Amino acid sequence: MKRTTFAAVAAVLVAAPGLVQSQAPAARKGRPLPQEFGRVVLDNESTRAGVPPVVFEHWLHRAKFTCRLCHVDLAFAMSANGTKVKAADNAAGQYCGACHDGRRSMGGRAVFESCRAGAARPLSATCLRCHSSGRDAKPQVEFATITKGLPRGRFGNGVDWEKAEEMGMVKLVDQLPGVSIPRQSLAIQKDFALSPKVQGMPEIIFSHVKHTAWNGCELCHPDVFPAVKRGTVRYTMTEIFAGKYCGVCHLSVAFPMQDCQRCHVKAVQ
Amino acid sequence: MSATGGARVAGWRTLLLAAAIAGATAAPAWPTPARAEAQAAAKEEWRKEFEEVCARTQDAMALPSDELRSLVARCDKLKPVVEQLDESQRKVFSKRLRDCRAVYQFVLDSREAG
Repeated sequence: MKRTTFAAVAAVLVAAPGLVQSQAPAARKGRPLPQEFGRVVLDNESTRAGVPPVVFEHWLHRAKFTCRLCHVDLAFAMSANGTKVKAADNAAGQYCGACHDGRRSMGGRAVFESCRAGAARPLSATCLRCHSSGRDAKPQVEFATITKGLPRGRFGNGVDWEKAEEMGMVKLVDQLPGVSIPRQSLAIQKDFALSPKVQGMPEIIFSHVKHTAWNGCELCHPDVFPAVKRGTVRYTMTEIFAGKYCGVCHLSVAFPMQDCQRCHVKAVQ
Repeated sequence: MSATGGARVAGWRTLLLAAAIAGATAAPAWPTPARAEAQAAAKEEWRKEFEEVCARTQDAMALPSDELRSLVARCDKLKPVVEQLDESQRKVFSKRLRDCRAVYQFVLDSREAG
């Protein structure tokens, strides 16, 4: 009986993202390809300025940096187009321009310079590396090259990023000199269990260790998880699949929620 | 001198006087070394304060409540300074300051909620 319930709920959860996505006008139908998972198209200013929107690939950046570095230290919002980046911001050394300043290097390669306000038209090949929406642009670093040999994941990018880091296959940078505030390493918070409301569903073990290592505190609290007292908020899968709570990340960037057993890990008693 | 020529000289005199008054009363259009130094120091000051205040988010859970309240107050004091920055810096540092203040307040609220 318990197995049947679990299977039924799992089937609903696997189908649910499709249902949620199909309601969003801009969402594509079906599941994204591994290299497209986490892709964000930024168009606050581009179209208005007569240039193609920016295509940002999360996989390329998450293979090298913690979430915290960009979403806390560089102040990128957690929703697409929420940051309102302008070329002038990048040129002033903020947002993309904090790293993409034409001076830094990464892994022995120079990091190309991001936009300058009033860039000449037609756009240069460097501009088109980011302003690539609607163009058949080939990235300099291929998805297959970056992810080759990394532990496989069942969904999302098809990569188990967490395991890749545990195995030392990706080494994430968490501090950007001149931008990040030098911090002491984070005191590790205890993992805790959350009891599901559905009978027969395995308990969720929430790992503070895994989340704080990549996110710090301020990425989740209080914006994503505002409750100040445990047990006062009833998290529902409907809300999560609608993009609240865990769904802020675990729909479109972190491993998606079709991978039920990554969270519902504790054996049913 | 003709009447037209006299009027022209008077016009020039008025213009020169206006320029002199404007020059004497307005702030210099370019920074003097002392002024630039003061501006740089002020710039360093807010950034230093920002880095000090927001460096404790990692150990917010372990800080005494009084210290958290003090950090929240320092964030509030810094907010109007950050709001005076140029647009790019203002966007970035307003968010960073808001996020770090929110963590401190969140920990305080969690404690009060028991």
